[in-house]
Amino acid sequence: MSEPRLKIPEGWEERAPEGWEWSELWEAVEVGKHIFTDEFVRKAIDTGINPRTILDDGLFPGFNLQGDRFTEQIIFIPEMLITARAMKAGLALIRPLLAAQAEKPIGVFVMGTVLGDMHDIGQSIVAIMLENAGFQLTNLGTDVHPDKFIETIKELKADLVGFSALLSTTVYYQKVTIDEIEKAGLRDNVKILIGGAPTTQDWADEIGADGWGRDAVQAVKQAKRLIAEPRTAWA
Amino acid sequence: MSENVSVTFVDGDGKQTSRKVGRGSTFIDAAQDLNLDIAATCGGRGRCRSCRIKVLKGILPPPTIMDQVQLGPDEVHEGFRLSCQTKVIADCTVLVAPPIAEGGHKILGAGVSEDTQFHLDSGIEKKLVAANTPKDENHQTSDMEMILVALGEPVNGDVPIEVLRKAPDVIRAKGGSLTVTTFNHRVIDVEPGDTTRHKYGMAFDIGTTSIVGSLVDLETGEQLASVGGVNPQAVFGGDLMSRIAYAQFNPQALRKLRSRVLAEINGYVKEVCGNNNISAGHIYKMVIVGNTCMHHIFLGIDPTYVGLAPYAPTVREPVVVTAKEALLKVNPNARICFLPIVAGFVGADTVAAVLATRIHESDHIRVMVDIGTNGEVVMGTRGRLMACSAPAGPALEGAQIHHGMRGAVGAIEKVEIDGDVTCETIGGAPAVGICGSGLVDAAAKMLEAKVINPSGLLRRDGGEGLPEKIKARIVEGDNGWHFVLTWAKDTGKDEDIYLTQQDIRQLQLAKGAIYSGILMLQKVMGVADGDIEELMLAGGFGNYISTESSVAIRLLPNLPLEKIAYVGNAAALGAQMALLSETERRRATTLAREIEHVALATNPDFQEIFVKAVVFGDETKRKSRTRTRTKVG
Repeated sequence: MSEPRLKIPEGWEERAPEGWEWSELWEAVEVGKHIFTDEFVRKAIDTGINPRTILDDGLFPGFNLQGDRFTEQIIFIPEMLITARAMKAGLALIRPLLAAQAEKPIGVFVMGTVLGDMHDIGQSIVAIMLENAGFQLTNLGTDVHPDKFIETIKELKADLVGFSALLSTTVYYQKVTIDEIEKAGLRDNVKILIGGAPTTQDWADEIGADGWGRDAVQAVKQAKRLIAEPRTAWA
Repeated sequence: MSENVSVTFVDGDGKQTSRKVGRGSTFIDAAQDLNLDIAATCGGRGRCRSCRIKVLKGILPPPTIMDQVQLGPDEVHEGFRLSCQTKVIADCTVLVAPPIAEGGHKILGAGVSEDTQFHLDSGIEKKLVAANTPKDENHQTSDMEMILVALGEPVNGDVPIEVLRKAPDVIRAKGGSLTVTTFNHRVIDVEPGDTTRHKYGMAFDIGTTSIVGSLVDLETGEQLASVGGVNPQAVFGGDLMSRIAYAQFNPQALRKLRSRVLAEINGYVKEVCGNNNISAGHIYKMVIVGNTCMHHIFLGIDPTYVGLAPYAPTVREPVVVTAKEALLKVNPNARICFLPIVAGFVGADTVAAVLATRIHESDHIRVMVDIGTNGEVVMGTRGRLMACSAPAGPALEGAQIHHGMRGAVGAIEKVEIDGDVTCETIGGAPAVGICGSGLVDAAAKMLEAKVINPSGLLRRDGGEGLPEKIKARIVEGDNGWHFVLTWAKDTGKDEDIYLTQQDIRQLQLAKGAIYSGILMLQKVMGVADGDIEELMLAGGFGNYISTESSVAIRLLPNLPLEKIAYVGNAAALGAQMALLSETERRRATTLAREIEHVALATNPDFQEIFVKAVVFGDETKRKSRTRTRTKVG
């Protein structure tokens, strides 16, 4: 196994003003300095750097490095969480600007933890990774009633919906939620992704989900796979 | 209708059991139908190896992904499968082959050896009386009236039907000499002659994993016997959540769980009565404690909603039922007393442990930590007590650890690293795996020896700068890096026993849950480490872990070791106290009402606390790694 390395975006110098340096931001995201990240991104915006460039050249490298390390089990949840927190600080500033530029998301993704489940630590990591992957993300949080999922799917004309369950007792509600989506007549409009510690591919198959994310990285891979698959267009 | 095929199970002793099953059912379901116990520690989700079988004859379907993940290509090739994942497709014979023979469990028994003082008032009174039989036809009276007149004290409530049925014989058998038994002034039994010397009670702590109980003489307070064993429900899921999931929305499964635990308790009753030559009819009171789920299942109450947010129990007040209602084979009118509950995951066992540890009488901050699959933390002083549940999961019981096992013979329980690694096993047998206490010890020593760093990372550089013998133990295997604790030649099986990076991560999550609970209560109550007068480790597991190692890996806060005490099975002790003293039993009710429950996962500070709690040190180092810059292109 090779050690993951920082992948420096090629040609970043050409996209940045004379004398600009991203390396401090790469490291800030990597080690999870969220206040520093916030300040640095503000500075970049004020300098007039394109928001997409800030995201790709400034925020992504440190985050992706940690993502790779997480996959390789070199770092663990705490390190990933603090990186996610820093990333979130940066994204919060960039997101409205990207929307203003009318960047088209690769898909509309609705996510949440199922009814009866209050756990969201892993979910926050998945959320940020999906957003980084270009999805327009709506995170409904924890203990989400199937009706709330359905309402949001309809309202946003979602392409994908993902729900996690972190307890052996709540995986049952993944099935319930899928059944309810089916009953609401939306099953062909959205692709369904599930995840969470007690889940397995078999469980995903059994309850009729379209994909199973073993971990955050797999969830994103599955989401990208599913978005390319055909589904009934929203009226 | 699916066609039937024949499946034969062979157990470790060579005993064979066969039956016809529908093609397509799983082996574990077939075994359960045969009443064969195959442990499904993960609840039959293919997440552990406890339900392993090996095909001896016949055809198995191709391995599933979970078979491959859990067992590895070699075992799969040799015909091993997970019985929860594998379906019966043709006639076959399989060996029930759990990874480790889990004989000789080291389970803690209860014992009232502490200097805990309390007043003996069990509420059970036996009084020898001389009753006259009714004599006058003109002025009608009754047997029961004559007995109560002879008793000479007011009684509460109706006389139970069993007593009425006995009364005509009892009053006439020995010329009116009879013994009346009351519980808090309610008549519960009448017997001919003098039986006042026979007044017994039992206390039980029903844990998710194990059950301990004791037989106590209610007259003297003396413990006559102790009993215990594995909770027979464990085959339906090792941890609490798997257990609830099994019974979820399934009344039949709930009945199955209930009848298992009842059979076990009734078995203990029979055993202690036989061994001590007493009659089960002379057992008049039982106090049962257990977590909320065990409590509900015992009473036949659906635990489904205990497993779903907001994890509300059906009842928190103390429940008292008769033995016949509880289906226990002691005196039919014996009172079976369940201590009160605080929350869905802070149950009657925790209340009993508080009762026994007397935190509520302390002038200084004391903390009680029960380390288990579903741990609890209670913190406070006289006047204010707070509790939270800390779900460690089964890693500390050896589950979901590659070479993990329960605390049985051959389990590594102690590790030393000094130039090389030395392991001690339970019973001194050649090592066959590692148990929870060994895991904690190993991690602490690996941390000290710099084999892992405070973030939990196992060295990936081949151990540069470490002593040669340590270096040689850091090996890159099929599943990433691992650290060899015992080389194959010194083990009781033909492979190295090691800890993987994944094992270390599992330990971090488990210990992180417990430490999060402690940190959360510290934060809510404003308690600094230095304010803690004493930290008590309760529960079976607490007795076996090294306090030094627990502090080193921050399973416990960084306290001077003399402030950490083992208090044994405090819940079982508390149950005995409530058995022997109605004052204590009432106190439990007051305590349960006073304990404030703190929810962990929904607290806004949880993430921050969790991040601190999962690492092996006090602070996550915000230090950048050295790196080589590479251009992508």
